[in-house]
Amino acid sequence: MADAGPARVPTLEAIDEKFGPPEQTDQPSGYFRRMVDADWLRRNGVYATLALLIGVNVVITDNFVSSNTLRLQLVQVAPVLIVALGMALVIGTEGIDLSVGATIALAAAIIPLYIGYGAPGAIGLALFAGVVTGSFAGLLVAGVGVQPIVATLGIMVAGRGVANLLGGEIKSIRDPAIVSLGTDSVAGVPYVVVIAGAVSLVVWGVVRHSTYGRQLVAIGGNKRAAELAGLPVKRVLATTYVVSGVLAALAGVLLAARSRASDPTKIGLLMELAAITAVVVGGTPLSGGQVRIVGTIAGALLIQIIGATLIAHDIPDSTAQMVQAVIVVAAVYVQLGVRRANR
Amino acid sequence: MQRTIQYRWRLLAAAGLVSLAAAGCTDSGDDESSPSDASGATGTEGGDDEQVVRTDVTSKGEGCTLEQYGAEPLDLTDAVVGFSQSEPDTAAFRAAETKSIREAAEQVGVKELLVTNANNELPKQISDIQDMLNQGAQFLIVAPVNSDGLDPALAAAKEAGVPVLTIDRKVTNEPCSDYIAFLGSDFYQQGQRAADAMNEATGGEGQVAILLGSSGNNVTDNRNAGFKDQVEERYPGLEIVAEQTANFARDEGQTVTEQLLQSNSEITAIYAHNDEMGLGAVTAVEAAGKAPGDDIKIVSIDGTRNAVQAIVDGQINAVIESNPRFGPLAFETAQKFYDGEAIPEDVIIEDDEYNSENAQENLDKAF
Amino acid sequence: MPGGADAIDRPANSATSLLETVGVDKSFGGVRAVRDVDFSLAAGEIRALVGENGAGKSTLVKVLTGVYPPDAGEIYFEGEPVTFCRPLDAQHVGISTVYQEVNLVPLLSVARNIFLGREPRGRLGLVDVDEMNDRARAITARFAIDLDVTEELGRLGLGAQQMVALARAVSVESRVVIMDEPTSSLEAREVATLFKVARNLRDEGVGLVFVSHRLDELWQLCDSVTILRDGRNVHSGAMADLDRLTLVSMMLGRDVDEVVEHGATEFGDSHLQGREPVLSVSDVEVRNRLHGVSFDVRPGEVVGLAGLLGSGRSETVKAVYGALHSQSGSVEVAGRRIKPNSVRGALRASVAMLSEDRKAEGIISDLSVRDNIALAVLSRCSRAGFVSESAIDRLVETFVRRLQIKVSSPRQKVRELSGGNQQKVLLARWLCTEPTVLLLDEPTRGIDVGAKSEVQALIDELAEQGLGVVLISSEMEELVEGADRIVVLRDGHVEGELDGATLSSSELLAALAGDIDTADALAQEHADG
Ligand SMILES: Nc1ncnc2c1ncn2[C@@H]1O[C@H](COP(=O)(O)OP(=O)(O)OP(=O)(O)O)[C@@H](O)[C@H]1O
Ligand SMILES: [Mg+2]
Repeated sequence: MADAGPARVPTLEAIDEKFGPPEQTDQPSGYFRRMVDADWLRRNGVYATLALLIGVNVVITDNFVSSNTLRLQLVQVAPVLIVALGMALVIGTEGIDLSVGATIALAAAIIPLYIGYGAPGAIGLALFAGVVTGSFAGLLVAGVGVQPIVATLGIMVAGRGVANLLGGEIKSIRDPAIVSLGTDSVAGVPYVVVIAGAVSLVVWGVVRHSTYGRQLVAIGGNKRAAELAGLPVKRVLATTYVVSGVLAALAGVLLAARSRASDPTKIGLLMELAAITAVVVGGTPLSGGQVRIVGTIAGALLIQIIGATLIAHDIPDSTAQMVQAVIVVAAVYVQLGVRRANR
Repeated sequence: MQRTIQYRWRLLAAAGLVSLAAAGCTDSGDDESSPSDASGATGTEGGDDEQVVRTDVTSKGEGCTLEQYGAEPLDLTDAVVGFSQSEPDTAAFRAAETKSIREAAEQVGVKELLVTNANNELPKQISDIQDMLNQGAQFLIVAPVNSDGLDPALAAAKEAGVPVLTIDRKVTNEPCSDYIAFLGSDFYQQGQRAADAMNEATGGEGQVAILLGSSGNNVTDNRNAGFKDQVEERYPGLEIVAEQTANFARDEGQTVTEQLLQSNSEITAIYAHNDEMGLGAVTAVEAAGKAPGDDIKIVSIDGTRNAVQAIVDGQINAVIESNPRFGPLAFETAQKFYDGEAIPEDVIIEDDEYNSENAQENLDKAF
Repeated sequence: MPGGADAIDRPANSATSLLETVGVDKSFGGVRAVRDVDFSLAAGEIRALVGENGAGKSTLVKVLTGVYPPDAGEIYFEGEPVTFCRPLDAQHVGISTVYQEVNLVPLLSVARNIFLGREPRGRLGLVDVDEMNDRARAITARFAIDLDVTEELGRLGLGAQQMVALARAVSVESRVVIMDEPTSSLEAREVATLFKVARNLRDEGVGLVFVSHRLDELWQLCDSVTILRDGRNVHSGAMADLDRLTLVSMMLGRDVDEVVEHGATEFGDSHLQGREPVLSVSDVEVRNRLHGVSFDVRPGEVVGLAGLLGSGRSETVKAVYGALHSQSGSVEVAGRRIKPNSVRGALRASVAMLSEDRKAEGIISDLSVRDNIALAVLSRCSRAGFVSESAIDRLVETFVRRLQIKVSSPRQKVRELSGGNQQKVLLARWLCTEPTVLLLDEPTRGIDVGAKSEVQALIDELAEQGLGVVLISSEMEELVEGADRIVVLRDGHVEGELDGATLSSSELLAALAGDIDTADALAQEHADG
């Protein structure tokens, strides 16, 4: 078989002559077409929409271009963002955390109850409540193997019940340190915003560069493969729920500090869906394996500014709900579209 | 506003994230005629303080007698009475309501009072009522979780020959057949009186923003219609510039107000459908560097202690009361019923008002 | 050796073109995966589609079957121009496809998978389960697959899953059947069955496209060949007109003289060092799968595991690695017993396992090539909880070069790589853990000839450094030439061992078959290659 190729076979020179030497890359054909494809939309849709919305507001909304507006939007988005960051991590593991609202209520309930130990003590205890609910979720999901949605749903119901039991009626918070946390600023930036910014930065760094963050994303992408590569799957999963719990508790503290009250029946109600929406709109797929922190921030801001716009223009509730429904459905649709294309 | 936004987002999230939404919306209690939403703080009836029931009852309809209802006579002092509360007692309104029923029962001297709490779940309320019937309840006072859907419980009571009196939320069933009568406030009138108070506070001139209760709730609808109709009819100087929902919650009241003040610097007054939203507005106005009660006038409805205290502190201008103390009236009505008197379908209560003149002295009346 | 007896006199029948493309182009970002390709398939023809890893074979297949719309060019079906917007469109005209990665529903039964989307319906429109199972049994019998059609697909080995995918594809009335590397995880016997079915289809006038890196198979089965290089069709013609050397040189784009012919594989001689086993497996039991498997691997030794489908080869390495729960037995590495049923324990003892199922147990498709390679050494490349990117870059660079992984950048998503290149990424992942025991389940699956010899040389080199290697391969040559010793498994226990003089294809076949008739049949099939 080692004889030279039969005559009908073209020589390599002939082939090269005909086609030119092999080349690796060419100018992309149809730049615009690539720009608006489904994947592009999923990655950048939230930024484009946010920019568009801000642009529209600059034109149509009174007082929109002002440092007060900026400050207000950032202050109001801070708790949602903090919860959404934790949620992004959980979703990155292909999980979901429905217990964040209940954790917020627990943390907020603890503040007025234990304010006798001083603000740091009360806040510490409140954050510890997040560790507890997070550990519960982590134990159920990673240890026992309960589906995340089921495990955290249970905690959502039970946690809210415990918060009601603990907190009772709505209580006002008058401790000056806590009130200051919710109200005051440093160099013109409210503490609440500083905290949310710091948390964002840390979570971003953790996802990008920490061993834990990289393991988390790998586990979300293919749990079995990660297991076989020796990753500490259970530990990473459990840690993630604890982180989400602590961040939710932090949001609870900030919400209570800002409203100077703690109403366990109402505070953080359905926060889980607000957070999930921010994460999904921000381009993190519910199927795990990716965590988009900057997208999540943009997603939370987008939701915030949509709400602000609707209020500023006094859009009735029914219409507002429809507008927002359209946006979520669009975001989810874009994601599903991309997933199908990747099959 | 993040709360509002959140609240809305969950709804739309419901549309998008199917299963999650289902999971997130466990308490969807209020619809058409739920009075207060879960945190309570709305209410009814017009007692003031615990001892005396000073009601000004307006009657509607022909009235329902023991005979028409087809019930057996009963001596209340020797009876087992059941009370089914709808929402957790963590809400001030509910706590006050339950307490009032308990105290009135004691005062009347009933043999036994059974109390259950449905925690805002309709199925639980149905089984609560059935349980109480099994335990021998002979008369029922029910604060319905929902205006629809209690049929199985009401049917069971009818079967057992046990009359039912509903308080604070009206059910859609047949009066004088499925239940005797409804005791409650006139939410529309509360709105009208809030408009009067607003006129007083602003001196007749003002740009008013309204903080609405939960949407699709008849308390919200009536308190809003009463206010707007009254303003239109009587107070041309008051202009309503915004109406946004804050779901009866304090922190949503705060966030929505913050947004409103930021985008509309003309606002001089806020009408909140309940005290909690009004208190949230107080915080928001302060955060915006203005004086609540002064730069921005605030009027709300309910009469919670915190809100009345805020009047004393000069931060809220007026509060229209919505009295939760149904106990005395409920037992009085029951007594009349067994005495053979005709009970009107709707027993409506006159509520009080708190303002800067009377807040201090009436602080103890607030719930 | 090439040139199966019945393939020679069967020239490509180009009178009627069943499926044809003219000037088809398909790019991903800056990478032109398929460029200006003319391709044609006639009825009653089996056409080979060959090329290096990343040459564009799978992409062309996906363009032909409506998975990707072409950027330019036309597709004709029976002379009519067609546009397939979805894979379903292609199915409707009678093109059925077996994709490179098994694309079925693991949680459904075998029968359910075969009839997915076209289940036989009984009254009330419900699925007639009995009817479906009966028909599925008939189909699997035709493929001589011995399995329970009511079993969950995901519980089967990869080879069996691939046979189910094939059965599904050919059980529809099709005009065209396209198979992208269908044999990559099949045993000789299943390959023989597959070929028989393929030839029957051809005789019925069906056109077939066959993608494979097992070059010998091409001459056994195919009438004609299309060679892709860097996305271009560099040659189309009759299979019989080419010899292996020319084919390889055209695939790789190197001159004939440069393509030096070694044996069939690149394995060198044995390099046994020392007597003490580096890996010693004793009495491993896995319920219903393994019944007391024991064997040793000495430093520098490559031990092959041979056996038929279901004999427990993959299960053995998985149990050793702790990835399959074993009820009893022990595994010692360099004399120290490792924690049973713990992957992390095995990894700590420097054992690494390359799974045969790269989609489900290997790649993390959303991650970059770089992160996939570094996955198993993530903690080792970290300091104080943070990843050292430079350490990873060094590792990745080394292995991308050494294994000739075709990537546009190490940050490219691994799912964008061709199948063979994904396989190389996984090899790199395990090699960079610097194992002392390497368990390789089909290490060269889907890898092209050039890279295959590179991988084989690498395994050799590692063994030379004192590594113990356990090798599973469905390719006879790879096993016989690569292994110093072969452990033959059957029904979950060790049937025998071949080494030294007994280490040959014919001995292995005999040992595998266990009885003379089958051995003869297999030997016959094998000789055909
Ligand atoms: N979805 C995608 N996105 C980006 N690039 C892709 C995508 N799919 C394929 N490619 C690129 O296109 C080229 C051709 O890939 P293809 O899968 O067709 O190769 P192949 O010939 O099937 O190789 P193999 O023998 O390894 O299976 C490769 O360079 C690959 O990286
Ligand atoms: Mg391929």
